[in-house]
Amino acid sequence: MTNSLNDIRHSKLVFMIGSNAAEAHPVAMQHVLYAKEVNNAPIIVVDPRFTKLAAKATDYVRIRPGTDTAFVMGLINQIVSNDWYDKDFVRARVAGFPEMCKVASHYTPDVVEDITGIPASEVVRIAKLMATHRPGTVVWCMGGTQHSIGSSNTRAFCILQLVLGNMGKSGGGTNIFRGHDNVQGATDMCVLSHSLPGYYGIKDGSWKHWCRVWDVDYEWIKSRFHSKEYMNKKGFTLARWYEGVNQDDKINQYTPIKALIQWGCAGNSNSMLHRVKKAMDKLELVVIVDPFAPAMCTWGEKDNVYLLPCSSQYETSGSLTSTSRQFQWRFKVVDPIYESKDDYEIMAELVKRLGFADKFYKNIKKVPEDITREICKGTLTIGYNGALPERIKKHTLNWHTFDIDTLQAKGGPCDGEYYGLPWPCWTETHPGTPILYDISKPVAKGGLPFRARFGTKITYYDGRTEDLLAAKGVANPGSQVKGGYPEFKDIVPGTNWKTDLSQKTIKEAIKRGMAPFGNARARCVVWTFPDQVPVHREPVHSPRPDLIAKYPTYNDKPDQYRVYTRFKSEQNPDLVKKFPFVIITGRMVEHMGGGAETRSNKYLSELQPHVYAEINERTANNLGIRNGQMVWIESPEGGRAKVMAKVTDRVDEHTIFLPYHFAGQFEGKSLVDRYPEGMAPYAVGEPANIVTNYGYDIITQIQATKDGLCNVKPA
Amino acid sequence: MAQKKIINSKISGRRSRRVTFNPKMARRSFLKLSGAAAAVTTAALAPKLTRKVSAGTDKKEPYPGSKKIKTICTYCSVGCGIVAEVQNGVWVRQEVASDHPVSRGGHCCKGAGAIDMVTSEKRLKSPMKRVGGKWQKISWNQALDEISKKLLDIREKNGPDALHFNGSAKVSNEMAYLQRKFAAFWGSNNIDHQARI
Repeated sequence: MTNSLNDIRHSKLVFMIGSNAAEAHPVAMQHVLYAKEVNNAPIIVVDPRFTKLAAKATDYVRIRPGTDTAFVMGLINQIVSNDWYDKDFVRARVAGFPEMCKVASHYTPDVVEDITGIPASEVVRIAKLMATHRPGTVVWCMGGTQHSIGSSNTRAFCILQLVLGNMGKSGGGTNIFRGHDNVQGATDMCVLSHSLPGYYGIKDGSWKHWCRVWDVDYEWIKSRFHSKEYMNKKGFTLARWYEGVNQDDKINQYTPIKALIQWGCAGNSNSMLHRVKKAMDKLELVVIVDPFAPAMCTWGEKDNVYLLPCSSQYETSGSLTSTSRQFQWRFKVVDPIYESKDDYEIMAELVKRLGFADKFYKNIKKVPEDITREICKGTLTIGYNGALPERIKKHTLNWHTFDIDTLQAKGGPCDGEYYGLPWPCWTETHPGTPILYDISKPVAKGGLPFRARFGTKITYYDGRTEDLLAAKGVANPGSQVKGGYPEFKDIVPGTNWKTDLSQKTIKEAIKRGMAPFGNARARCVVWTFPDQVPVHREPVHSPRPDLIAKYPTYNDKPDQYRVYTRFKSEQNPDLVKKFPFVIITGRMVEHMGGGAETRSNKYLSELQPHVYAEINERTANNLGIRNGQMVWIESPEGGRAKVMAKVTDRVDEHTIFLPYHFAGQFEGKSLVDRYPEGMAPYAVGEPANIVTNYGYDIITQIQATKDGLCNVKPA
Repeated sequence: MAQKKIINSKISGRRSRRVTFNPKMARRSFLKLSGAAAAVTTAALAPKLTRKVSAGTDKKEPYPGSKKIKTICTYCSVGCGIVAEVQNGVWVRQEVASDHPVSRGGHCCKGAGAIDMVTSEKRLKSPMKRVGGKWQKISWNQALDEISKKLLDIREKNGPDALHFNGSAKVSNEMAYLQRKFAAFWGSNNIDHQARI
């Protein structure tokens, strides 16, 4: 999120696309509803399904799954062609605008209607609504990202906010409501196969930086890898790790995967689960670390699985980063129960036995605070360095001193600071950055320009050259340079603001009233992406053969995170004949993620005991399906799920919705007896992901679980 | 209207009754409470519930010597405050944090039952291993010794990239950091977590 949940209280309009916050983030809704009731803000909800969030909307827009880019580029086209865009903002702080406009001009209201199913008149009306209610916020979640063009969708959302001039403003911003409680923090720590903590990447310079932080020899770390090539090569992802085992698609690694550690991660959130299940028996070792028996322990037949009981997060302590980039300290409530151990202890025991404990824990004596300090020392890119453990604890202990509207402490021990020191928190006295890219405040007081990350000049594909730094006169108050400037480097010779562990560079920048990362323009054109400006491409499994020819998917990617990933060779115009419905998945308020925790809670299980498929009344009647009857959902990949039919007009007649929190049953067969005795959850059911399809984002490899195809028939 | 409905409901109507999230609390009231929170999903109602809760607890101190610990809900990224009451090392009841600047006393049905995370009978109680298709209880030492020996064997035979590590968005920053650091020290980039999907 560029802003915060509380800041939505200042929005004049809320545009939510691919989010069902009423179920996924219920407590955030108070701030959205405040904007609706107090500011009279239109709440526009764009979703293929009439969700519980849509029930709170002033304007509900039903969209065909996987066509967000077309709709949003259509809105941008309206805003630009009607001259409703923020000209000052675009002139001073945006790059690649003419190139973007040219692409957007294709998406006329009629074209948008054909692709998305949204009436042309609605495209014009929504665009006007957004232009006349500023600043507005744009919110999205997995409905925007889990597509083969997910990265284009998210970029289109950002460009929409740029042309409206809604960035860096209270009430505006691009606000992604993140899922898990610490998914923001875990992302920042880069538990990711393409980066080291703080988004440093995995190039040589990044490894050397972190080796300095860890105080270990770079050559030693290098010696731990198969070869230097593999040190700089992106690894397998959560989306496709099992291909490293199964090798149904060709892998680009010297060895197949033989062992898996699954630590606090639900196996049933992977698409095409029947393939994950297949991998379980091919692995030599599976180590599952979880407080509850998860779905994964019921799959596979081999004696290759260990279950390690870690304690819940209430039985340990540490910091976490909320969706609003706020740090909070989760204080330990009680000691680990039964024989469970907390995560830190399990890791320490494992590392000790693997023989690198001395190097691993070199700077870490007191757990977890010394780890926090090591994070602060190295994570300069996103300003974790000012969020020291004692500051985070002080904020959490004094949460009552912060103002609900500004999130700033009014007096008390944190006076003037923003709640949770939202990152970047540049120094030990910095108050945190409540709104990213806000040039109305000095950098020392939480202001920021756009980051200068991509050089200072660019020549586009059309031959035009543009200066990438912000325009003259545009900078935060008190900045020594009144206009754009590049990132800070060589204050300490041979380093830049990201690699200077003494942090002198960052302090020097702040002293000069400037941002360590420079002051540049936000880009509408990303010259390293296959689609430099977002364009519509039909889902890999598309229900519209006529549009596949016009908007085909990408070429196959032979080595995407170590595995061949099919795009064009997978897109088959005839698939829809056998699999005529679009399948989408989502959340219920009563359950969370894979559901091992919530389905082990008897109250929540009683509130929401069954998995079901939402089927439109017309579809159900045509297929002879009655409400409450069992049906088979079949996927083109061969997976099938037996679930109860929920006949409803929440979905349209082309779409089937399933919540994805369930497990304990597989393709009609109960797996309850495969859990350790007495530990099967109260609520069991088919995992929706048995029937989600093949398909991955071209950049991130996120699975396309929001636009596959399926068939439905009575069971 | 939603607010009115809640006020008129049995829970807030029974003023004399102590409303807690204690597991001993009648299941029915819990369901009503969490059901209401789920259905309305607006904390517009939360301050009302909160006041009732505090008004109730002021009357009597059923857990003498207990202490209240501020902590954060583990369900979603909103980061709602929770006030956990602990007596003799046991989490005895849970209160909403009406003064938390983001959640302001709001809870969904999941967060309202956070205490069940440590009281659920379904929690895994000891390390286990599948032997002959059946789960067998083993000691921590046996589990960790066998796992690390096997990992080192695989590393020796197939190389470090034969291990894939799926980490977590449900652990602290510190633990997430250790997971990434573990992969680095093990010698592989085969590490990922839920943010990918």
